[in-house]
Amino acid sequence: MITLTINQQPYQIEADPDMPLLWALRDLIGLTGTKYGCGVAQCGACVVHLNGEAVRSCVTKLSRAAGQKIVTIEGLSKNNDHPLQLAWNEVSVPQCGYCHSGQLMSAAVLLRENPNPTDQDIDNAMAGNICRCGTYPRIRKAIHLAAELQKKEGEAK
Amino acid sequence: MKISRRHFIKSTGTAGFALWLGLSAKGLPQKHTAGSALQHFSPFIRIEANGKITIYNTKPEMGQGTFQSFPSLIAEELEVTLDQVTILQSNGEKELGTGQRAGGSASIRTSYLAMRKVGAAAREVLILAAANKWNVTPESCYADRAKVIHKPSNKSFTYGALVEDASKLELPKEPKLKDPKNFNILGKSSKRPDVPLKTCGKAEFGIDVRLPEMLYALVVRCPVIGGTLKTFDAKEALKVPGVKKVAAVERIVGKYHYTGVAIIADSYWNALQGRKKLRVQWDTKGYETFNSVEYEAQLRKLGDEEGLTDKNIGSVETAQILPENELEAFYETPMIAHHTLEPMNCVAQIKDNKLEIWTSTQVPSSVTGTGANDLHKYVGFTPENIKLHAKFIGGGFGRRLYMDYIIEAVNVARLTDKPVKVIWSREETTQQGPFRPMTFSKMKAGFSTAGKLMTFQHKVISPSYFESFQADYDQSKVDSIMVEGIGEQAYEVPNLKTTYVRAECHVPVAAWRSVTSSTLAFAHECFIDELAYKAGKDPMNFRLELLSKPSDSKKVLLKLKELSSWDTPLPQGTGRGVAIWDFFAGLCGQVVEVSHHKDKSITIDRVIALIDLGEVVNPDNVKNQVEGSIIMGLTAAIKPGITFKNGEVAEHNFYDNPLLRIHESPKIEVHILADGGKIKGVGEPGLPPFAPALANAIFAATGTRFRKMPFQLKTE
Amino acid sequence: MIMSIILTMVGVMAFAWRSGSKKEAMLPLSALPLKKDSIASVKAFEKVYRVLMSPRCMNCHPSGDIPLQGDDSHLHEMFPKRGKDGKGLFAMKCGNCHQPSNTPGKHSPPGNAEWHLPPANMKMVFQGKSAAELAKQLIDPKQNGNKSMKQLLAHSEDGLVRWGWKPGEGRTLPPMSHAEFKKAWETWINNGAYAPKSNQ
Repeated sequence: MITLTINQQPYQIEADPDMPLLWALRDLIGLTGTKYGCGVAQCGACVVHLNGEAVRSCVTKLSRAAGQKIVTIEGLSKNNDHPLQLAWNEVSVPQCGYCHSGQLMSAAVLLRENPNPTDQDIDNAMAGNICRCGTYPRIRKAIHLAAELQKKEGEAK
Repeated sequence: MKISRRHFIKSTGTAGFALWLGLSAKGLPQKHTAGSALQHFSPFIRIEANGKITIYNTKPEMGQGTFQSFPSLIAEELEVTLDQVTILQSNGEKELGTGQRAGGSASIRTSYLAMRKVGAAAREVLILAAANKWNVTPESCYADRAKVIHKPSNKSFTYGALVEDASKLELPKEPKLKDPKNFNILGKSSKRPDVPLKTCGKAEFGIDVRLPEMLYALVVRCPVIGGTLKTFDAKEALKVPGVKKVAAVERIVGKYHYTGVAIIADSYWNALQGRKKLRVQWDTKGYETFNSVEYEAQLRKLGDEEGLTDKNIGSVETAQILPENELEAFYETPMIAHHTLEPMNCVAQIKDNKLEIWTSTQVPSSVTGTGANDLHKYVGFTPENIKLHAKFIGGGFGRRLYMDYIIEAVNVARLTDKPVKVIWSREETTQQGPFRPMTFSKMKAGFSTAGKLMTFQHKVISPSYFESFQADYDQSKVDSIMVEGIGEQAYEVPNLKTTYVRAECHVPVAAWRSVTSSTLAFAHECFIDELAYKAGKDPMNFRLELLSKPSDSKKVLLKLKELSSWDTPLPQGTGRGVAIWDFFAGLCGQVVEVSHHKDKSITIDRVIALIDLGEVVNPDNVKNQVEGSIIMGLTAAIKPGITFKNGEVAEHNFYDNPLLRIHESPKIEVHILADGGKIKGVGEPGLPPFAPALANAIFAATGTRFRKMPFQLKTE
Repeated sequence: MIMSIILTMVGVMAFAWRSGSKKEAMLPLSALPLKKDSIASVKAFEKVYRVLMSPRCMNCHPSGDIPLQGDDSHLHEMFPKRGKDGKGLFAMKCGNCHQPSNTPGKHSPPGNAEWHLPPANMKMVFQGKSAAELAKQLIDPKQNGNKSMKQLLAHSEDGLVRWGWKPGEGRTLPPMSHAEFKKAWETWINNGAYAPKSNQ
């Protein structure tokens, strides 16, 4: 039995400890917002937060994830209102949308560690996430907007 | 399109609707349960007595925005706002017609008037129903935001209150369309309702479908394309915990039939473990000798053949051209894969001789249809017994026009009565095709002694698209898909000849975003550039001189010249290139600016695109599409294609078949021309002009002419 | 842009300078009982140098801030950056893809619990260095993370160093066994840690 804490919710699953977290999330637990894209840590569609870091769940074994704090796209915010989600919606970033769970989870770490990212910081954080539809210009724009929203949110508090 | 005369569909098939994805006003999904008194004003609209309005989107959503743009056409004329309606994705239902497909950038350009009429007809009967209730003339009433209002008295009825009466009235055949100046939705940028679903993980793609008791499967396919299954030994694989069944299954793509070995397990992970233990022997049937390098040489040699004549205007043969006034060039483009980020997948279940399918497909109508090439023909179920649940598509680009992965999943589903989800790995999605074919172009042109362009020839050498689908393909005919656009450019040349040389190929051919224009525009528009330099003219002005008569191309180029400040000189080491392409999907022109650096690398400073649409639904979405087309065009221009070594695809995954990443993405400005002219498409036209505009800019900056894709952004 | 047509993935052997006890770190070089045999030392370093310049070691000791990948040491696809601590930046930290152990599969990320580059303030560049330059750099406490000779000696047994000899499927091994490398490493240091002449 493996215990996972996902989006603050405990889950007990019976699975091979070598199974990648991705498949446990999608097939065993039913959190399908995290996507399979490449299986070898190339595309970033499967990014989730493991103790706050943007790990690629396709290569993260359950044995590493067990007992740790996991956040998936479903848990990034309660009402789709993380500054990044608001910005993504405002800028209409996605096309097909398949990569954007991963894009958002990667961007969330960037914004937490660097509330005022430059274009270079965005490249440094986001070059691991592939978007086949080519929404990169909008991802860039939305991250800048999210940084502003986050700042305003902070000021309001 | 004919508007259905039926006032409403009696059998609303509530069980079928029950699982359809709906969107509430807040854009969050909900399970739709059909109420009573459902009123259809056409199959596309349903208004309920409680005021709920539903519009069916029949164009599968793969990122191109039809989930909103198609219903917008109806909503505009129905006089409802988009947040007053629920949009439901259609699933290939018969009453919604055979146009439930997304391809060819066709959704809006072929529905623009027809769907507005659908909305307008419903609006007119609602107004009439209200007028009858008040006993006033319909002319004294108007519709606004899902209400009919009597102008003099300001009395109003909601659509819900009118629906029962309205449904008894005859729908007008030629309803009056709104004056575009009164549009509330069309032509205005707005937020797409699918976007919030895609930012919180709730959008359901085919691969996300989960059903009770669902099993998972993968299929081991012959690594040598064209090979076939000899034997397999599943003894060890079946010992792997969770593995349920191992069996041979067929996949059909076009005229090709392949057999692989399916492993069914209780999870995809366990199926993957089973795969490690499976022993398979293939008969590669001689295809193991197929190599891209040799195939390229073969295509180059075929360039010497005369080929079949496509367009022939004037006579290139008899035009008097001095040898020094002639120019020839040879252009090459590789095979490429679609690389949809959602790998191929399909859920299928066979129960009580009925087939149910959950998948991402560009062609719902072909899955449930009765046509000769529709799914029923390949799977042995009658169309009435095939039921589809069409899901959001994690990238189409032409790949999901083909039903090979559905046919294969149906064959897997025959092995159990439970639903089975077949997942292709990234490697399988990369390596098994179908692919955009290798396409070469032999160009030749000549000037008169006075410097006028007299002859222009474009010979296409490639495998045939149609031959890949038809075993009895007539080889004496030009494959119209493989020469698309090259005979239809607006340039005025007195003697024009386009020809086609068919190359043998055993690898299945696919349409890839913008189809053959993604390759031919590169040759065509780069060669025009070469001719401009030969003539000693500015490439923009040279093109405009070839466009003396009014045309959309001329209009676009003139505007693009202004938008790009073409006549403003650029500093040393930088250069501008232009290209334009007019084809079945639409028309777009682009100017690219590049810099050549001391270390010989090249960077793209700016891309200016102008797309000609006639009419525009959601300008912001159009911009998103053109940005994406440019990035996909850049990817195809500079990233490796698909190559074969010993019959196998040499590339596997993104590490050896990389896609463009954010740090490589250039600055893009998109402009839209929507001046009421011919309605053109959005999803593809931004792609073909990019690679030639880039190569032309590189030539302007460096003097190096790239004639083979992919090329690297650096000079020797 | 990087045209990566390389089938093999990252190969890295980082020298993980874990700081030893303060006392050791303060030991001056002269305090160590060293034999002074410049010929034996320099000869041993030739072997050491061959190992350090092999892709398994050099790939994580790049001259820039982006690690290298593959047997041809091309820039790492997707351009992850060093970061201050050598562990990457933001959403692109080494450990996000590189697991505590190698991920199975020819093209999957190799792994080790300590996976990282040298930190930004002590880059310990191998790429492009001559044998002389590298030897001098390795023994310079200002460039080697304040390592004493004793700590330096022990470093051939570092976990990340040892990973170089278990790099996972599809990655070329360093040009000699770990035992041979260790012997050369110790011979080099124990005989005075001499640097070869600059032209070597």
